[in-house]
Amino acid sequence: MRRGWRSNRVFFFLLCLLVCVGLIFGSIGGQLGGVENILSTPLQFVSTFFNQSAQGINNLFSNFSDVQSLQERNAQLEEALARSQAELVELREIASDAERLAELLDYVSAVQNQETLTAEVIGYDQNNLIRTIIINKGARDGVTTGMPVVTKQGLVGRIIDVTALASRVLLISDPSSSVSARLQTSRAQGTVQGRLTGSLRMGLIPLETAVEVGDVVLTSGLGGNFPPDIVIGQVTSVRQFEFELNQEADVRSLVNFDTLEFVLVITNFVPIDISVFDTETTP
Amino acid sequence: MGNFLSFPILIVAALLQATFMPQIRLLGGSPDLVYLIVLAWSINVELDSSVIWAFVGGISLDLMSYAPLGTSTFGIVITVFIISGIGQQVYRIGFVLLIGSVLIGTFFQQLSIMIILTITGYSVDWGLSLGYVVAPTIFYNLVFILPLYWIIRRIQRRVVPEVSSKPTR
Repeated sequence: MRRGWRSNRVFFFLLCLLVCVGLIFGSIGGQLGGVENILSTPLQFVSTFFNQSAQGINNLFSNFSDVQSLQERNAQLEEALARSQAELVELREIASDAERLAELLDYVSAVQNQETLTAEVIGYDQNNLIRTIIINKGARDGVTTGMPVVTKQGLVGRIIDVTALASRVLLISDPSSSVSARLQTSRAQGTVQGRLTGSLRMGLIPLETAVEVGDVVLTSGLGGNFPPDIVIGQVTSVRQFEFELNQEADVRSLVNFDTLEFVLVITNFVPIDISVFDTETTP
Repeated sequence: MGNFLSFPILIVAALLQATFMPQIRLLGGSPDLVYLIVLAWSINVELDSSVIWAFVGGISLDLMSYAPLGTSTFGIVITVFIISGIGQQVYRIGFVLLIGSVLIGTFFQQLSIMIILTITGYSVDWGLSLGYVVAPTIFYNLVFILPLYWIIRRIQRRVVPEVSSKPTR
């Protein structure tokens, strides 16, 4: 008798679907936010241990496979080091000049002024269509939504969700991520979007701009979501289409998003919501 | 007993899926452990139990994702109803049925996730997703289903003795 209503398969099926749809809309609407936080906090805590084990095993296997390529890589690096030393001397001269000029202008570099918080990556998005990571620093550590996340190699993403002990970072390689960028040499502006393949694509580059393979792509700071002059990656190829007003370039990030272990959260950057200026105002 | 077991098994599977599995990605796809465990469990048990496993597994997955709660659950729930329907019609669980369930079920599961993400305003590149994520996931699931089914079957025989009446061919 107790199972009567469940023996009607069609009714039971529709009821289950209704619950799923309710969960989806409740989650989007934010009504289930509290429940999600309560349930996900212990999972995030446990995933720290799982991820450490996973990284350990991954490192063990990659160490074995890397031995053969290391000798070859070593030779390449020695050659690159020799070239870099010559460039370093030149750059030091330029840097000292720039420093003197900056002092004259009373300018403090935003990069030098960044306050960062080191965080450990404790999980990846289980959904392969979404590129996010979970880090072990949350609201208790002063992390808030919108803070940029970087490594020494460049931009990683931004904080999109915060719980007490952990935060979720939307990677710049996620298809829904969009970063205002500029080319270092030509200063041309564009937008870098993520792709599922892990590569990045810079679009909306003016057609008259000369884009070279190897050009460094930096954040422009436009839109107020990221501070300017953070390295995003390097141009690997350029495409121009007939009848298009813009060109696009494939960008390779120096960050390996699949093997991230530690990241830096820029804690003193406050994202600015400029969307308020988009709304029409009546005089 | 079988339903209570869903919590530790599926939560651990969800944690593995969010930590270990991204390390062995083939293109953009990785084994969908939770989905496979629920599918393997559903083939031999009653619908009530399958639905509980589907909800526990789906919600565990959704808690480990940026996608809205219920996104993974939706596809898994539909799959267990279909699997349960097929399971009632056959006397033996054959290799072809198992592989067929994974092949069609994984495709449907991934498709439902893509549809939900698109409806909820997430940017989904359909062409790239099908080739780069869905196809490798199906491949991985086909590789993983046999050992997982073997393990789940042994657990079921211990905790749900009545399911041992349906032989596996």
